[in-house]
Amino acid sequence: MKYSQMTRRATLQALMAGAAVGALPGKVFAQTVNLRWWSPQGSPEQLAAYAYQIEAFHALHPDIRVTFEMTSDEGYAPQLAAAFSSGQVPDIVTHLPSFAVQSYYANGLIEPFDDVIAAIGADDFYPGANDVFRAADGQYCGTGIGNSAANMLWMRRDLMEQANIDKIPETWDELRTACAAMQTRGTFGAPLPFGRNTMTSLIFTGFIHGAGGHVFTPDLEVDIDNDGTRAALEFYREMREFCPPGATNYSWGESLTAFVSGATATGIYTGRVLVNAVLQNPAIAEHITCATYPRLSTDIAPWTFNDFPSVFIPAQSRNKDAAKLFAAFLFDPEGYIRQLHAAPGHVLPVLQSINNDPRYQDNDIIRAYSDEVELMAQAAAGGFNLGYESAEHQSNEKAGEVINAGPIADLVQRVVLNGDNVDAALSDTSRAIAEIVSG
Amino acid sequence: MTRRILFNLFAWSIVLAVAFPLFWMVVTSIKPQFELFRRPPTILPETVTFEHYWRLLKETNFLIYFRNSVVLSVATTVTVVSIATLGAYSLVRFRYRGRESLAFLVLFTYLLPSVVLIIPLYLMLVTLGLANSILSLVIAYTTFALPYALWLLRSFMAGIPEDLESAALVDGASRLGAFWDVILPQLLPGIISTALFTFILSWNEYLFALVLINSDSARPLTTGVMNMLVSSFNIEWSLLMAASVMMSVPLIIVFAFLQSYLTRGFGAGGVKG
Amino acid sequence: MSRPNTATPLERRYAMLGVILIAPTILVFCAVIVYPLFSAIYLSLFQIFTPTLQGSFVGLENYQRLFQRSEFWISLRNTLVWTIGTLTLQILLGVAMALVLHQNLWFRSLARSLILFPYFVSTVVAVLVWRWLFNDLYGILNHLMISVGLIDWPLDFLGSSPNAMISVILVGAWKYFPFVVIAVLARLQTIPEPLYEAAKIDGAGPIARFFDITLPQLREVLVVIILLRAIWDFKEFDLIFLLTGGGPLITTQTLPLLVYKEAFALNQMGMASAYAVVMMAIMLVFMVVYVLKTRNKDESR
Repeated sequence: MKYSQMTRRATLQALMAGAAVGALPGKVFAQTVNLRWWSPQGSPEQLAAYAYQIEAFHALHPDIRVTFEMTSDEGYAPQLAAAFSSGQVPDIVTHLPSFAVQSYYANGLIEPFDDVIAAIGADDFYPGANDVFRAADGQYCGTGIGNSAANMLWMRRDLMEQANIDKIPETWDELRTACAAMQTRGTFGAPLPFGRNTMTSLIFTGFIHGAGGHVFTPDLEVDIDNDGTRAALEFYREMREFCPPGATNYSWGESLTAFVSGATATGIYTGRVLVNAVLQNPAIAEHITCATYPRLSTDIAPWTFNDFPSVFIPAQSRNKDAAKLFAAFLFDPEGYIRQLHAAPGHVLPVLQSINNDPRYQDNDIIRAYSDEVELMAQAAAGGFNLGYESAEHQSNEKAGEVINAGPIADLVQRVVLNGDNVDAALSDTSRAIAEIVSG
Repeated sequence: MTRRILFNLFAWSIVLAVAFPLFWMVVTSIKPQFELFRRPPTILPETVTFEHYWRLLKETNFLIYFRNSVVLSVATTVTVVSIATLGAYSLVRFRYRGRESLAFLVLFTYLLPSVVLIIPLYLMLVTLGLANSILSLVIAYTTFALPYALWLLRSFMAGIPEDLESAALVDGASRLGAFWDVILPQLLPGIISTALFTFILSWNEYLFALVLINSDSARPLTTGVMNMLVSSFNIEWSLLMAASVMMSVPLIIVFAFLQSYLTRGFGAGGVKG
Repeated sequence: MSRPNTATPLERRYAMLGVILIAPTILVFCAVIVYPLFSAIYLSLFQIFTPTLQGSFVGLENYQRLFQRSEFWISLRNTLVWTIGTLTLQILLGVAMALVLHQNLWFRSLARSLILFPYFVSTVVAVLVWRWLFNDLYGILNHLMISVGLIDWPLDFLGSSPNAMISVILVGAWKYFPFVVIAVLARLQTIPEPLYEAAKIDGAGPIARFFDITLPQLREVLVVIILLRAIWDFKEFDLIFLLTGGGPLITTQTLPLLVYKEAFALNQMGMASAYAVVMMAIMLVFMVVYVLKTRNKDESR
């Protein structure tokens, strides 16, 4: 067993190094193998990069055919549920948030990923990058195909200048003051999400941590009723007047568009802002910059929300060996860099060697915004999410359900939009989360 | 005469208000991207562009989705209408035990919410080896289209005088011969009308398509367009509106011609519960 | 296509043929409707994790828990508000528009096509267009209302209560009232003209003619339309899900959305099935009561 794993690893590594193209099939398959690859990330540029990776892989392994099938952020849960329950699963899935993977793994639906990580080269990952994928049994349930720094504070220097703001806000007080100063008749302060959707849950979790709070204790007791949450709710309520009226329904797309179109002076999003601004609103593109999102005070460390876009292989896949080969191949520099360049700054490399690779750096947007991209890469590598609230936290396999069912977004809506009593709302939220956790 | 003019103005202002979203859809689809996010919005586009249409046709899978939707809707309509026509004929013109309760059951199945049917249906489709295909959606759409079609056709059928058929039978025609020669021509408006309703239902369905279909080769327009253009990093409003126009125009053209069938058919028999 | 053999009793042969003709319908019904229905009832007795469909038998516990949940009652109330609200508007608008379109209008068939348009377009398209119209920043509705002086701050159509429910009801009415127009218009065309002539001679004005002749003639068709539309509206998922997703909070979350959330966000297939079964039971009760009521009236007339 040990031996066979070693050879596979060696083979994969040789493959990674790009040596002897086509001469080293990882394994000879009895007949042509078809792999189905699912991802919710499928902008036209990304699809082109995937197509390149699929072709390159097929050139190496003529007996393996990969078909890309797009799912969506709203659709993946029911689609995977249907797939898992029927046994007709995709062979490889990418770009789902890490907590979804943990939940599936805990139910025995996912293949351990340790050997693929080893094949890619465990040392090449940013330190701790795979901690979020470590499951309760000590194995890895997947790995990151990229990092994302999803709650960066985006600013426009031109508006800051007009409003006489000389530094990028680091605390909530400074942010509020800045938004008040920059808000004019045509421009709002910030596009914070207040919608009943996953973005609100995810982003607000960041605000809770920005005030030193948490949703779960490190050993995963529900503990959302704490001072941090209260401070975050208070701040979020104060920010309402600086957000567009429709922010009550905002999710990622609306929030991003609001900043890029110039409707808001600040933004909260990933590096996708860069490419969208360059394409859709070149007038502001040269003025934008980003920083980690402000906190209650500078004593609290920034908490970057990274949903850790993942790669994993369903346990019911009939072609796990081929899927693993392909999973490892996704990190082959040539194709991987193309994939990252499809949305520069949006999906950030998980491998240090790629981040330092001149080919990766050789991109108009990454060059033009090198400081921002580097900052995001660092912030994301040290990022967290509800499934992994801090380095002390155990991995939380119920985080996916908590996010999808939305008690945290409900909390925001009750307190901020409805003006409900904070104590009552918090105790209901605690109960709702506890109920989800107990299943 | 003034009354007539006033009435016309009044009526047309309502019609135009109802159709305003259509107008706005077209306007948005021909605005260039930079004009889209202008505040306040421009009512008539300052620059007219058809680039969004070109991009949809050339750079995306729009045409594949379109083809899938057409195949899917036509197949569903043909299947459902043929089964329902036979079923309705049987329910109305034949006497056998359980006929009445069967008719009631039809109405009952009409109550089933799609959400519940999805998982069991999906498991069944997988067992049949049909998952992720257009055929699987045809089968799924039958669940809500068949009860409705059967119900509609049953009332159309009841509106056809029995004498006609009897006369044909007396003349020596077989039962099925009479059905073919006498009933079907009479039923034609009803069939066309039912077919139109079925077509609309399957053309518009979203939930089943969302859960059951995962590959672009089988994905219909509804989920295809949503998937392609509404994502967490972008809502391509201009492309969405262009897609909406292209999704709607063929239907509008077809229905503009068949519109009279729709209303005539319903009048002939659809009113009899 | 066999010719009837006169040697056997014709009636029995006909009954056989009748059964053969209905057979495909019954087969399809059993396969795609009855089987899933029973599995739904069966699943509702278990606690089941959706992706694996593994779970444990819990008997009627799901039902017990469901009735204790305020979320169920709120969603039920929302469903009723939505159904009644949108249905009423559909009927009123639909009948009114049918009457207008029945008149001699300029470019009548163009007007008819334009009115029917909302019913033809996909729900997805309808929702997208409306979301774009409703948009707080770039939406034309807010812009028009501000420039007319109706409001001085953009209205939040979909994200605040009760705006969201009102918007959903309005969009629902817009989308489905053409169905009523189709049916009513069809019926109007079959009302014999002499009825009106006679009433005119008796000195009845247009309003009296509407209540004395048109409405009674439309009764039958309205009974049917209301039943059909009520069922569809009660079950409506796509429109509300895509427009508001049930928000803000759960103020527009109807029962089908609750079922979806339970099944696919919380992965509780058993609980979801229980909700669905209860939902069907409610519809069934309404339907039976409605059918009986309207039938009694018909018989007493």
